[in-house]
Amino acid sequence: MNKLKLNYTSLSFLPILVCIPLGYQLINNIHFGGFKLFQEFLISAFNPKIDNEIIITVIKRLNETILIGFFSWLVSIIFGAFFGIISSNIFYKIFNIPNFFYRTIRFFLTIIRSIHEVVWGIILMQIYGINFSIGIIAICIPYIAVNSKVFAEQLETIDYKSFESINQINAPKFSSLLTLIWNPIINTFKNFGLYRLECSIRSSVILGLFGIGGIGTSIFLSFQTLNFRELWTYLWSLAILIILSGLLFKKIKFNTKNKILSIFFIAVFFITILFSFSYFLYFIFNINFENFNSVSSLFKSSSDLGLFDFFKLILETIILSLLSTGIAISLPPLVIGIFNSKSSKFFIKIFAFLLRLIPTPVILLTLLTFNNPSLSLAALTLGLHNAGITSKLLFTNLDSQDKRNYIAMKSLGISKKTSWLLGLFSQQAKSYLAYCAYRSDIIIRETAIVGVIGSVGLGWQLQESLSSFAWQEVTIVLIAYSSIAIVGELINGKIKNSLT
Amino acid sequence: MNKTVLELKNISYKYKNNLILNKVNLKINSGEKIALLGKSGSGKTTLISVLNGTIKPTQGEVKLFNESFEELDRKQKSKITTIWQDLRLIGDLSAEQNVNCGLLAKNNFFFAFKNLLNISSFKKAHKYMELCRLHNSIYDKKIRKLSGGQKQRVAIARSLIQESNILLADEPFNNLDPKLITTIKNLMLESVDKNDTKKSPKTILVALHRLDLLNDFDKVIGIRDGKIFFNIKRNNLKKIHLEKIY
Repeated sequence: MNKLKLNYTSLSFLPILVCIPLGYQLINNIHFGGFKLFQEFLISAFNPKIDNEIIITVIKRLNETILIGFFSWLVSIIFGAFFGIISSNIFYKIFNIPNFFYRTIRFFLTIIRSIHEVVWGIILMQIYGINFSIGIIAICIPYIAVNSKVFAEQLETIDYKSFESINQINAPKFSSLLTLIWNPIINTFKNFGLYRLECSIRSSVILGLFGIGGIGTSIFLSFQTLNFRELWTYLWSLAILIILSGLLFKKIKFNTKNKILSIFFIAVFFITILFSFSYFLYFIFNINFENFNSVSSLFKSSSDLGLFDFFKLILETIILSLLSTGIAISLPPLVIGIFNSKSSKFFIKIFAFLLRLIPTPVILLTLLTFNNPSLSLAALTLGLHNAGITSKLLFTNLDSQDKRNYIAMKSLGISKKTSWLLGLFSQQAKSYLAYCAYRSDIIIRETAIVGVIGSVGLGWQLQESLSSFAWQEVTIVLIAYSSIAIVGELINGKIKNSLT
Repeated sequence: MNKTVLELKNISYKYKNNLILNKVNLKINSGEKIALLGKSGSGKTTLISVLNGTIKPTQGEVKLFNESFEELDRKQKSKITTIWQDLRLIGDLSAEQNVNCGLLAKNNFFFAFKNLLNISSFKKAHKYMELCRLHNSIYDKKIRKLSGGQKQRVAIARSLIQESNILLADEPFNNLDPKLITTIKNLMLESVDKNDTKKSPKTILVALHRLDLLNDFDKVIGIRDGKIFFNIKRNNLKKIHLEKIY
């Protein structure tokens, strides 16, 4: 008997098997109590509410979302670059600082990064109350750490010989550092800067769902009042914002040879740093701490969380991550492969766009209209949202790929689906899997969002503990959550390295 | 008698259990023009890297102006400049920005900043680029877009602009045509001396493969398997010496 051989193509489809246990639980949990609501939700998509009042609200709310997104992006990209520099080995080589500091800073940033902005947002809201700046700070904390990783990775690519050469000139150390890092920093900003802005705007929408303000809050309030027509007005306006910003981002090109533009960027850079520091000091000294039961309560409060329950929550979070990742990996190639006519592709692209557009808590709440809360439902939600993102990448790569193999196979009489699989997808499978490994890092972090709403995993427990001001429990949950994310990042890092 | 500017005392260097330099002793006097000969892998590049302080020897001591290399400050160390065999230019910077990098040691942080923003003065850089026969059309081109010969001359211009007392060069004439070799060699050894003695490197050590270029050097050092086989005046160089190292 022939041995089963796994290649990158088959590995891309294999995770779809998670749908078997997932489907079983979803079918068992189905109920028709809210089916009418779901129907209404779908119909409202084609009949959003449009009047003067709502248009003014949309503009106002979008403004808030953009402001939170933009400021958090600006601060996080600048401080991300700074922390990227001090967490890159080139910095330590130039200044002859022991590697211990390098490892400590990296570890610290990994912990910060492992906790989702929503979690930071919920914690900060509990401490400081609802505040516009909480949104910016909640996004900035993990984003600075995420951006620092991106910048540090780029700085690691600096040729060691260039370092030796500049070092041998015996220039002042800061001059050497600046000369070596300048271009990697500028290139990272050019390649990832605008993408990170889009991420910041998406995060500010998600945080809005948890009460920070902006369009997210309006979406959540319309959903709670079952005002689906209003909800779709907000969702479509968000879609227009994302499409327009995408078009705008494509037009923006950074020209580093333009001296005035360079000076302008540097001025913005320094003003942002000054502004951030002064605001930080203002925030620290003027905030009302009444809501916070003081740090000492962290040590006084006891934890009612049993060991068994705690491990059950950890296991749930891990399973939730695995199931969601399985869907995010396999669903896009499977659907695109089966329905690969031009018209089908158009509809898949629209569906994928909607999955990306609608925030995960809204998808989950919609699905809850005809299914009981369960781990499978949370996994399906997270999986579908991320499948929307992975399918975008897959479409982009497939569209730009050389199609000669595919055409040649079709001309040999091989079916369209097989030709697509072997002539097109098989060449993309490896890089697609590498991207999915990176995506699964994000999925692990996002389990907190669906967990809070879907009554599963550590996310749910975190919400419960925060609501009852059980700070010791909060700390334990955060440590567990962070540990899962760090271990996941290490495993995914190994997978990515083996694939690239 | 000329003063010793660089001295290697009993230098050994091991890399992954391979002895690359084996108990090397060498004295380089001020104003000497030395050619370093040896086949590929004989230890020429490592010797240059030890001399300029890039590599710390496993054993022995390097002295610059009679002081241990490790005790010297940045300004004293900047009295040595190197032209690397693999050039070591910064690919994303333009040719003139790379040449200006040679001036980093003599300027403050803001000079580096202005250089990267293209708002510093390139007058001096252009002067040295012109001396190296680089056409002004390539001044603002990125290094990765230049030919091998052009990159070679940018690297040479970057070293010469440092106006250091000691120039170490590892096969600097690679990628150059015969006419350019003569120009660049004269620039390093003679021409600049005649125009402006202060600005020329006074002491030169050049690793070479081509024996026809030896004429302008005072001394020849032969290296094989990390050991110095001979260190003689050029006029005394005989076939038997070369047979020992090749």
